[in-house]
Amino acid sequence: MSLSMVWLGVGFGLITASVLALSSVGLTLQFGVTNFVNFAYGEFLTIGAYLAFVLNMGLHLNIWVSMFAAGILTAVVAWLFNIIVIEPFTRRKAPMIILLVVTIGMDLFLMNGVQALFGPEFKQYNDPSGSILHVGGLLFTVQQLWIIGIAAAAMVAVHTLLKYSKLGKAMRAMSDSSELALISGIPTRRITQYVWLLSGFLGGLSGVVLAINVNNFTPALGSEFLFVIFAAVIMGGIGRPYGAMLGALIIGVAMEVSAMFFDSSYKTVVAFAILVLMLLFRPQGILPSRGRV
Amino acid sequence: MGAIIYYLLTLAIFFAIYSIYAWGLNIHFGLTGILDFTYITFVAIGAYFAGVAAMGHAQPMGMGGEYILGWNLPFPVSPVLGGIAAAILAALVGFVGLRRLRSDYLAITTVAVGQIVWLVVGNQTSLFNGWDGISGVPQPFNSSLFHLSYNQYQIPFLVICLIVAFIAWRVAESLTESPYGRILRAIREDEAVAAALGKDIFRYRMSAFIIGAIFAGVGGALTVEYIGAFNPSGWGVLETFIVWAAMLVGGQGNNRGMILGAFLVPVLFTEATRFITIPGHPLLMESIRGMAIGLLMVLVVRYRPQGVIPERKRVYRLNLISQETEDSAHGHAVEG
Repeated sequence: MSLSMVWLGVGFGLITASVLALSSVGLTLQFGVTNFVNFAYGEFLTIGAYLAFVLNMGLHLNIWVSMFAAGILTAVVAWLFNIIVIEPFTRRKAPMIILLVVTIGMDLFLMNGVQALFGPEFKQYNDPSGSILHVGGLLFTVQQLWIIGIAAAAMVAVHTLLKYSKLGKAMRAMSDSSELALISGIPTRRITQYVWLLSGFLGGLSGVVLAINVNNFTPALGSEFLFVIFAAVIMGGIGRPYGAMLGALIIGVAMEVSAMFFDSSYKTVVAFAILVLMLLFRPQGILPSRGRV
Repeated sequence: MGAIIYYLLTLAIFFAIYSIYAWGLNIHFGLTGILDFTYITFVAIGAYFAGVAAMGHAQPMGMGGEYILGWNLPFPVSPVLGGIAAAILAALVGFVGLRRLRSDYLAITTVAVGQIVWLVVGNQTSLFNGWDGISGVPQPFNSSLFHLSYNQYQIPFLVICLIVAFIAWRVAESLTESPYGRILRAIREDEAVAAALGKDIFRYRMSAFIIGAIFAGVGGALTVEYIGAFNPSGWGVLETFIVWAAMLVGGQGNNRGMILGAFLVPVLFTEATRFITIPGHPLLMESIRGMAIGLLMVLVVRYRPQGVIPERKRVYRLNLISQETEDSAHGHAVEG
């Protein structure tokens, strides 16, 4: 009995891990380049979810089309967020501690903004793709398979971008040292703006798939998920996209397997426990640290 | 007693309590530079523990619901217990988040702890009666000493709050002005320099974190003994940032500024907007208030990071410095 429940938990875990991989890679990429944690990141998820809600329920678009469009729109929101809110502080080299206060203030602003516009009650998408498929002894709905597929495709795309494109190389260079990147002729301001676009896009997408996965959602969707994202990001080593993917996989599966055995409202406690253990024993993340070249 | 006087007394009580909150958060952030994004959780833990310690035994199937303790403790003891409970939580959080010299790790830890404590307090009904919360917390001294009606009780409770606030003010001021406070400011300004001078950064930040949490816990205890009831909807995320906004507006690092901030943000702004009703969903006004608090925080650090009353510039001089450099250093500090 228990082994099959573990297996069932792994199945759910893959879906949660997919949602988490999208969101934690989006957060960690931005951290790598700009070197501060964005506490408003949860609101990118919320904004993405509500934009998709407008497109899906208001304009009657297909949910996956809505998701993609919401991702792009959230990317624009994140880009504006950087230009309007963050750049005035980074331009005069404000200390990191001030940037964190700014992002948490914006988190409050954006979450309440969504709540003012849409109200506090639960929302749901119109999505007919609910038929069930058997894969390897597990039951998945079609939409769950879509979520896994989208996350996998996004991870491959991020890998390709980082490894082979000029933008990706510039991002990695800035992640190592922003100053050295600048004096090597990398246009760091422009790269930073691209990173915010990418972070917003991944955040928006993950907000929509999170909303699909939990079925109904409120304006607290993103901020309640934020520390689970932190757990995955810190597990993988903050600022490291491949680490975040691994962290997302481990935490997603751990959360859902535990939900098979305990009260499922406590599954975020598992993410919390992992976060605490990481901070106590391996704050640099589970991957071996990169050598200084 | 007239309704207006009753209302003004209520405001005065909240003003005193919010000043205590602001002094505590100021010890965290203004003095030491610790990013505590879940200050209200320390308030809540103080409130719950003081509440259940002051209440009588939980009756099985009783009206008050389920809760722990129920020790019937008299007034000055129950808020002390609330302060201790908040201190213990702060020690645990600090142990996880303060050991690395990274301010973002503590901030992340506080965000996560806030969510988890909220979740556990809400779901574990046996602790503090879950989402319904505790109610029927006795008013200090009232059944034993005053025998006043709820309305008449305002004045003695205000006196109690003012006494506690005065003690809190004295503690905050003497901390700020002591050598200990000077080391905390040094850590805030430059951890590496403070460490190079042989200061144990972890110990200093940890103790400041615990002391600030005690302020929160005691303030929370006063709140619960005044309102008589407490549940998770009373300590949402917004509550933390109302105190943050008060601290930033008042002038971080400056206890006098905290009083002004506590007056301007929680009392004036939050109370004044309480009577505005606009058509729309029930949480619309609450949401707009949240937007305003978030925006206020960003605008203050952008345009007036020192707040309304800036922290006093402190100039320390060594006797070794020659008269000439001393004068120029002094002149520079005054000018800056």
